[in-house]
Amino acid sequence: MIQTLLINFLQVLIGFSGGLAVGGGFVAFITVLGIIPRLIQLTKTEKLVKMYGGCVIIGLLIGTYFSFADIILNQSIIILILWGLFHGIFNGLLAAALTEVLNVFPIISKRIKMERHLLILLMAIVFGKIIGSLFQWTIFVK
Amino acid sequence: MTTIVYLRMKKNIDFSEMQEVQLKHIAYVSSTEPLLNKKLENTPIYRITKKDKNIVVMDSFLIIDHLTNIFEAIEIQLIGHSQTIIRVVPKKKPINIFFVSVVWIILFIGTAMTIMNFHYDVSMQEVQQKLHYLLTGEQNQYPLWIQIPYSLGLGIGTLLFFNHWFNKRFNEEPSPLEVEIYKYQQDLDNYLNQYENKLNDTNPTN
Repeated sequence: MIQTLLINFLQVLIGFSGGLAVGGGFVAFITVLGIIPRLIQLTKTEKLVKMYGGCVIIGLLIGTYFSFADIILNQSIIILILWGLFHGIFNGLLAAALTEVLNVFPIISKRIKMERHLLILLMAIVFGKIIGSLFQWTIFVK
Repeated sequence: MTTIVYLRMKKNIDFSEMQEVQLKHIAYVSSTEPLLNKKLENTPIYRITKKDKNIVVMDSFLIIDHLTNIFEAIEIQLIGHSQTIIRVVPKKKPINIFFVSVVWIILFIGTAMTIMNFHYDVSMQEVQQKLHYLLTGEQNQYPLWIQIPYSLGLGIGTLLFFNHWFNKRFNEEPSPLEVEIYKYQQDLDNYLNQYENKLNDTNPTN
């Protein structure tokens, strides 16, 4: 009896500390990439910072629930499409925010004197992402 | 009586050939006497020669020194930058389509591969399969209804981040990319101001 109690307590402790570490890491990651500030800037909604923080927390909790719970929601395809689209937008922001991309561009444009064609090159990245992803899901994995 | 002359150095100036540098090329001049302004503006400061290669840094100290020697009874007040970077750049050549295409393809394929590697790295296929089951209750090895909108969303997200669709921009603010390029240019200029300046007797190599 006491032994199971202790083991359970240990599990709670391990789970809780793991969650703390992962949660902290996740928030640090999001913060460093600056996706939220970027979205706030684009939508001019500085006042809603707290709300966006809440969104991230709720999203985290729901994601955790989905990955551990064994439930079925019986939703239609429309939900799938919306889900995929929003996931894609988020990942697009995420990948674009990776500082490597941002640091490579000034150097490329300077080295080969293409300051004026920067936008065309930017489109290469956009289409590369779309086509690469589509290629993977429709051809590559089959 | 001394006249106060205000001098604002330009940050950067591009010349298309080696030429004589006059004060008006590298600085804005203001004083209470229009005649003096004209004279000052046309004062030759420096002659760029082959020896200078293509970058010359003019330090404001040298200019003040030079001007106070020539003109008597002026007092120079410096506002703004303390150095001007002169670049000698030959006339812009027309764009090389070949180069642009090569870089375009590098970026395109590189990005495509990066995103595919990323998807494998995070086992996205499996997660999406599980999600498909969770949302619809059907097993599907290829949950394309999630994956295709996801792929399009990737592009939209990138566009949002950079705030550009080809030459069209969504709002007035500079995009992170433009800020980053500005920062890089700023760093280069700082470096030049330090190491190409004849007054700073330092050299990175010795």
